[in-house]
Amino acid sequence: MKTGGQASVIFFAALALAGLTVAVHPKKPSFPNRASDPGEISLQEVQNWNEPVLWVDARPESDYEVEHVPGAVSLNPDNWSEQLPHFLDGWRPAKKAVVYCSAASCETSREIADRLRRSGVDPVYYLKGGWEAWKATR
Amino acid sequence: MTEDTISSLINPPPRMLGWVALALRVVLAGLFVLAGALKLLDPAAFALEINRYQLIPWWSCALLALLLPWLEILVGIALLTRWFSRGALAWVTALLIVFSLALLSATLRGLNIDCGCFGRVWQSTGTFWPLLRNLLLLGMTVFLWWKPRRH
Repeated sequence: MKTGGQASVIFFAALALAGLTVAVHPKKPSFPNRASDPGEISLQEVQNWNEPVLWVDARPESDYEVEHVPGAVSLNPDNWSEQLPHFLDGWRPAKKAVVYCSAASCETSREIADRLRRSGVDPVYYLKGGWEAWKATR
Repeated sequence: MTEDTISSLINPPPRMLGWVALALRVVLAGLFVLAGALKLLDPAAFALEINRYQLIPWWSCALLALLLPWLEILVGIALLTRWFSRGALAWVTALLIVFSLALLSATLRGLNIDCGCFGRVWQSTGTFWPLLRNLLLLGMTVFLWWKPRRH
């Protein structure tokens, strides 16, 4: 069989197995809606907590200085080493921390949340929609 | 270094080339089977990894998260067993090119994301080193295309 024919057989075999996976796999992805990332949280859920939250602004410091969520601390990949001790001073175990970056498309909040988790901060979440989601409700 | 040694390095005997091809084939097959199996543990999480590249709509991320792991496992097995091995090598080459372009695009856009190459079990932040690794693997496939039938 020629190369193209062999490649087609492999593709259709993989397609059939993918179909089987949809039928039986407990962790299959949902097609219509994007699943929530573990650790991702919406602004509405944060507001429903009705408890103080430690906000973490993962945007560049220049954006933080213009405007930020009241009480938020600036913690981003550039100032991580110098700001982390200040952040830990204000954090108490079991106090929920929520990290946000500019918009839904940015990844920095997730990265900072991962770093904080590895530094022992738990629970820590990152805000779905980021700063734009916050601004939209003001 | 004697003249014979230099000559054997420039024109290695076919037997040696065959062993090199076999070794590369085993490495590529092993990596593809491992990558596919790890992704298959949690396709939903893998779909999110693909989504972070911000290149394709969600429904196609979900479809790829189901299809790619099996494709990787099957081409790995085919490379190892030499069953449809040219078709498998074609897939390996195509997948490595597509993965490399996606990684290059993420690197150029400054996205700080997990490569997603081995699902969520084996994570590594950043796209630059995975891109270099992919280019090395592509080099291996070029060798296998050049020396396909010896071993």
